[in-house]
Formats: sequence, C-alpha cells, structure tokens
Amino acid sequence: MDFSVVIEYFPKLLEGAWVSVQLIFLSVLLGGIFALPIALARTSKNPFVNGLPFLYIFFFRGTPLLVQIFLVYYGASQFEVVRESVFWPILREPFWCAIIAFTLNTSAYTAEIFRGAIQAIPVGEVEACKTLGMTKVQMYRRILLPRAFGIVLPAYGNEIILMLKGSALASTITILDLTGMARTIIARTYTPIEIFLTAGVIYLAISMLVIAIFKQIEKRQNSYLGPIGSIKVPDKG
Amino acid sequence: MSNASVSRIPALELNNIHKTFGDVEVLKGISLKAYDGDVISILGSSGSGKSTFLRCINLLENPTEGEIIFKGEQLALTANKSPDLQASSMAQLTRMRQQIGFVFQSFNLWPHMTILDNVVEGPANVLKRPKQEAREYAEFLLNKVGIADKKHMYPSQLSGGQQQRVAIARTLAMDPQVILFDEPTSALDPELVGEVLGVMRSLAEEGRTMLIVTHEMNFAKEVSSEVVFLHQGLIEEQGTSKKVFEAPESERFKAFLSSTF
Repeated sequence: MDFSVVIEYFPKLLEGAWVSVQLIFLSVLLGGIFALPIALARTSKNPFVNGLPFLYIFFFRGTPLLVQIFLVYYGASQFEVVRESVFWPILREPFWCAIIAFTLNTSAYTAEIFRGAIQAIPVGEVEACKTLGMTKVQMYRRILLPRAFGIVLPAYGNEIILMLKGSALASTITILDLTGMARTIIARTYTPIEIFLTAGVIYLAISMLVIAIFKQIEKRQNSYLGPIGSIKVPDKG
Repeated sequence: MSNASVSRIPALELNNIHKTFGDVEVLKGISLKAYDGDVISILGSSGSGKSTFLRCINLLENPTEGEIIFKGEQLALTANKSPDLQASSMAQLTRMRQQIGFVFQSFNLWPHMTILDNVVEGPANVLKRPKQEAREYAEFLLNKVGIADKKHMYPSQLSGGQQQRVAIARTLAMDPQVILFDEPTSALDPELVGEVLGVMRSLAEEGRTMLIVTHEMNFAKEVSSEVVFLHQGLIEEQGTSKKVFEAPESERFKAFLSSTF
C-alpha cells in the first residue's frame, strides 16, 4: 500500500467530488421542483390527470438508472431532429445528459415520496381546511404542503443519499465525477485500493454532511413534536 | 328578498336529506329548519345517522338526495355518475362553508402551527382581512375561550379540552352565521368536558345559531331551544327542549332517555 499517491492526487479527487456535488445539487433541486406537480397530479382522483404521472413514475422507478443515462446520452443523439435542435449544445454535453437523466429519475422517486406525505396527512386536518371554506389552492399552499414538508423530510433525505451514490454512474459517460476521477487516476497509478478507499471516504463525508443538514431542518420543522427521542403523543383528554 | 321582512327566512333549511353508504341507507329523509338564534341539539344512539346528517350540511359528506338552503340561498347540487350529489359550483360551496362553522369531535387543529396561527389562518388568508386585524381578533377570541396564555404553544402541548376550545375559536374567527358541533366533547376525559360545554353555553347565550350533535343530555336540556332525536335515519321525536324532555311521545326516545340519564 502506498498512500503517497493519495496525497498526490487528493486535489484531483476533490475536483471530482465537486463535480459530484454539482450533479447531485442540480438534479435534486430540479427533480424536487418537477416532483411537486407530478405528486399533486398523482393524488388526483381523475384518471386523466393521474394516469400520465403514474406511467412516468412507473417507468423511472422500474428501469435502472444506468439504462436511463444511456438512453439520454447515446439515445438522444441518434435523432437528427435532436442534433439540429437548439437543445443540441446541451444534449451534446455528458454533464447535462447526466443532469437530465438524474433529474428525471429523482423526480419520479421524489414525487412518490411527496404523494405519500400528502396522503399521510390525517383526513380530519384536511376537513378542517374545507370547513373554513378554503379553496383547493389555499388549502394546499397554506396548510397541506407545509404540513407534508415536515412528514417528507426523513424520506427525502434518504432519496438524496441514494442520488449521491447513484451519481457514480455518471462516470460511465466520461464524466470526471468522484468515481470517474478515481478510475482515471487508477489507470495511471495502478493503486485501486488506496484511491477507491479515499473516494469512499469522501462519499461518506458528503453523506454525513447531507444527513447533518437534514437533521437540522427536521429539528426546526418538526419542533412541534417536541425534542426528538421524546416525541409526545397528543393526549386524548 | 323584498318579502324577507314578512316571512322569516331560516338561517339554515334542510329538506329531505338522504344518504346511502353502499347498500346501507343511513339517512332516510331528514328535514330541519334553524332560525337565527336557534340552538338545536341532535340526539340519537350511535348509528342513528346524527353525525352523518351534520356532515351532509356542509358537504363533508355528499348527500344522496335533498336540498340545503342557507339564508334563503339554495346550494346547487348535481348528480353525476356516483350515487351522491356534488356541489355544482365550488365557488358557491366554499362561500357557504365560510359562513357555516364546524367543530369536530377530534378537534383537527393543524399540529404544525401554533395555537395563534391556527386561529389567524381563517380570517387572514380565507377572508383576506389585514394581518394585524386578524391577529388581534384571534387573540380576542383565544382570550374569550380562556387560552390566551398558550397562544404560542403547539396543539400537541395542550390538553384535549384546551384543543377543543382553540378549535372553537378557530371557527368563531370566521364569524360564522351558523355553527355545527359534531360531538364536541365525546373525545374528552370527563373532567375536561365542562370547560368546553361552558364555552358553548356562552355562545348560545350570545344568541348564536348552533346545531349540536351531542351525548350530553343535561347540556342539551338546558341550552337547546329545540331537540331532535334521530333513530335509524329518521326523526323520531322533535320539539322544544321542555316538551321533549318532560313529555316525550316516542317510546324509543323514552327508552333512550332512561338509558342515558
């Protein structure tokens, strides 16, 4: 084992980690934005409204992320329409292809998480909104979405961690993210254990950061439940 | 509206309300009129349909048949594929709901908002009153129900009786013309029932129009201007509180009274 390579290549690995963080941040942000309307459509009882989001979620949850990345990266360029469109400068870039694939994938998962949270709100609290004469928009904007936000946090934090690990697949389409960078270094130095171990530690550090951030948000958002660990059950009497 | 002064218009009029769940007909045609200032108690053993009837009034439950007329304005209902009637216009329904208060058995406060925010929500964001005015009004109402000192706490930090009083304040904040109470004390420990009934009693004394589904016989007897006893989806006994409790006509109601007193 030769850990001097770690010291030598650590800045390069951090460079890769930065690309990974950008990938996750952008796709989680965009995915979260797209997930909301998908989730709301999914909670509709109208089959014309909930049908399309159902298929969307079904496809992106049911196929491997790697296949989705390849479909965007290799698939889209087959069509001349795409190559001649204004989107080509974007679709030509592996980075943006990865962002597109990740966003589509995470928005499907996140939509399901949001839907679950919205439907987990006790029906009585929804009825309370109705009896005050709120419109649907007021009801969601003022009460249900903020309420669902607190419920969604633990599962959503989990989805971001999964996305972080899934982002390693970006290395398959020539992106020098943390994994991609590690593989490039190893091809030069033949030190897989040292470099992959280091990469693993960096992934862990990012995960811990995400977990810590979510714990803070959860603590603030769900303060009405009392301190974590002593969750107070509302007494009946 | 020209002859409004001649014939008194009921605050709330319900005609021939039917409700079917699957094959079970829970309500078999109930009609009721509530004039301004009326306090009507709706009694009945469990399964008699009293809560369902109350929930049909503001369409928390969609009736299968019937008419709902609020201050002379009929709520437009349409039948579509489902056996139940739906509100034809969401706008009309929400407007009516804003004027018909509803107090639940299980309080249904929003747990992620403080007591004060729970009460401010209606006037500030539904009625679009200025924030400051809504807040002052909410504080006034919380004071009235005796919870002013807990306004910055969350619902889970309050006892059931306190939560129910907040829920009443939340309803009052909308300045409703009629308030519907759906077994407001049934989820409470016995020693907490009194504080909620006390608030309701003072509302009755203010002359508010109230429909109350309850099991509190003494309260019903003292506070109601009219008592309705439901049995298997129909009105079995109806009349002034005095008449119904002192000289009941129906054998079933007599049996019900002797089992509950």
